[in-house]
Amino acid sequence: MKLMKFAAAAATSILLSTSIAAADDKPVVGLIMKSLANEFFQNMLAGAEAHAEKRGDYELRAVGMQNETDFESQINAVENFITQGVDAIVVAPADSKAMVRPLKRAMEAGIVVINFDVALDEGAKEQQGVELAFVGPDNRGGAKLAGDALGTALGEGAKVVIIEGNPGADNATQRRLGFEDAVAEHKLNLLDSRTAHWETEEANQVFATMLTANPDIQGVMAANDSMAIGVVKALESAGRSDIKVVGFDAIPAVLPMIEDGRLLASVDQFGQEMAANSIDLALDVLAGGPQLEGWVKTPIELVAGK
Amino acid sequence: MSAVDTTPQSPEKTRMSIRSVINNAGIGIALLLMILFFSVASEHFLSANNITNILTQITINLVLAVGMTFVILIGGIDLSVGSVMAFAAVVAGKAITLPGLGATELIILAVLAGVLAGMVCGILNGVVSAYWSLPSFIITLGMLNIARGAALQISGAQTIYSFPFAFEEFGSMLIYGVPVVFLVALALVVIAWFVLNRTVFGRLIYGIGNNEEAVRLAGHPVFWYKVAAFSICGLTAGIAAIIYMARLNISSPIAGIGFELNAIAAVIIGGTSLSGGRGSVIGTLLGAFIIGVLANGLILIGLSDFVRQMITGLVIVIAVILDHYRAKYSAS
Repeated sequence: MKLMKFAAAAATSILLSTSIAAADDKPVVGLIMKSLANEFFQNMLAGAEAHAEKRGDYELRAVGMQNETDFESQINAVENFITQGVDAIVVAPADSKAMVRPLKRAMEAGIVVINFDVALDEGAKEQQGVELAFVGPDNRGGAKLAGDALGTALGEGAKVVIIEGNPGADNATQRRLGFEDAVAEHKLNLLDSRTAHWETEEANQVFATMLTANPDIQGVMAANDSMAIGVVKALESAGRSDIKVVGFDAIPAVLPMIEDGRLLASVDQFGQEMAANSIDLALDVLAGGPQLEGWVKTPIELVAGK
Repeated sequence: MSAVDTTPQSPEKTRMSIRSVINNAGIGIALLLMILFFSVASEHFLSANNITNILTQITINLVLAVGMTFVILIGGIDLSVGSVMAFAAVVAGKAITLPGLGATELIILAVLAGVLAGMVCGILNGVVSAYWSLPSFIITLGMLNIARGAALQISGAQTIYSFPFAFEEFGSMLIYGVPVVFLVALALVVIAWFVLNRTVFGRLIYGIGNNEEAVRLAGHPVFWYKVAAFSICGLTAGIAAIIYMARLNISSPIAGIGFELNAIAAVIIGGTSLSGGRGSVIGTLLGAFIIGVLANGLILIGLSDFVRQMITGLVIVIAVILDHYRAKYSAS
């Protein structure tokens, strides 16, 4: 516990030293992210740091964690920020239920709290008597955009499969639901839906086998780009250039694939800007603006070739 | 070399090899039954394409499991191979995307860098756990985190991509429907078999697993043999990294999460005892096939992910129970 607090403090001080020396009257914003092992959050951190430098009217203290489910160090980070007396906390919760209580304490301490990326659980918020807006992308809507692109390209009745993320993860569930929305709307024929745990190699294996079982597959919806890369490689090995694939996240590695048509489309959630936008909203509230309510949707965009 | 020969006397040796044949035959029969079942249950299972797929799919696990066999035979365990594979892949990925070099130089550089990176991790695992006589379970758990952290640090948590074409070609090349990468794995099995069965080094690996003190008292440098076993495991993780990159044309710092468990499962299903001293790399080959055939076949017959996971777990438990009886049987 002590060690973790020390680690969080150390992380904060390292980040502090890289930001510009803060004047006393500048508001302090604590940014709590999920795993910095994830490309998405790494980009987000870079975006937030650039934003802090550009705006220059606030001081950024950022903490990340070692893995996606390490909510205990997130709770510690919230406690540290309360002790340090920051003005605002901007948080991407690792657990949508466990984070409600510590954030409630922060709000009671007069700190402006902005919840972004993953929404806190409605039931848990109600139980704790917390009212907190959510700033974030619509994963389900984004997945539907990708699914729509596939549905439009293939037409009614086309046979498709879904490669899912980690079972039980909120964004994986939302993306699967979004794909299923597209399946329903375009009257596609969903043959199979399986997880590959977000991983390239596993997606490659799982999809190669699905293709053997269903050689008449026409389209694939992968819940992230790492898995889409695995699918594309499986199609190349099988010599099938007739099957269309969509992914999610628009990571740099798939952009050449979109360019040459191996990937039909992906979805950009502008992770880099998401933390920065949330910080803007926090500063607006701090400056006396109205409290946020409900779901503030952040932009999502389909990235497709010509 | 003959001065340190500790191979068992010939009658016992014959009995041992008969026993090992029976052991392996048991796993082989299980595999055949599985293949029989899936070929009846799914029309696609025995198609040429699917066989190519299965061979591709077991390659990385088989390579990792060959190295793992050495470590388990000395009574150790290596939990770090998945992370070490990612670390080696990132190091090799950085090397292969260096600017200003020709494709051939880049590929040679990347292969050397990747294999070396894997081996360094293995040497560290071996030296630390053998020098202080610490449980390899804990030391390699530490390495699991160190190597993963290093992979993320070096890559900045970004996927590395755009490799030379010749490298990609190697990853998907087939010879009569057999993936070249699988042939590489098979070559490793043959080399490992030779080392374990036909060299003094190999016999001492078994000896350490059976009775470390006896080997030590016989005057053999047990420390170095242990380091060698872990180094081999790191080396195979490095080779697996190169195969991963050639097959998927990316290197990802989050590759290989949980791969150590599949590698350990292949070794254990293959009849190698977790307490060391007993088992064979041929068993490991069959074990990797069982896991691969199961993963492939269960999708083909349309079982859900969750049921599939349960069945795979069940097979591992059954294998360990069988091993218990095998140990009892051979002791009596």
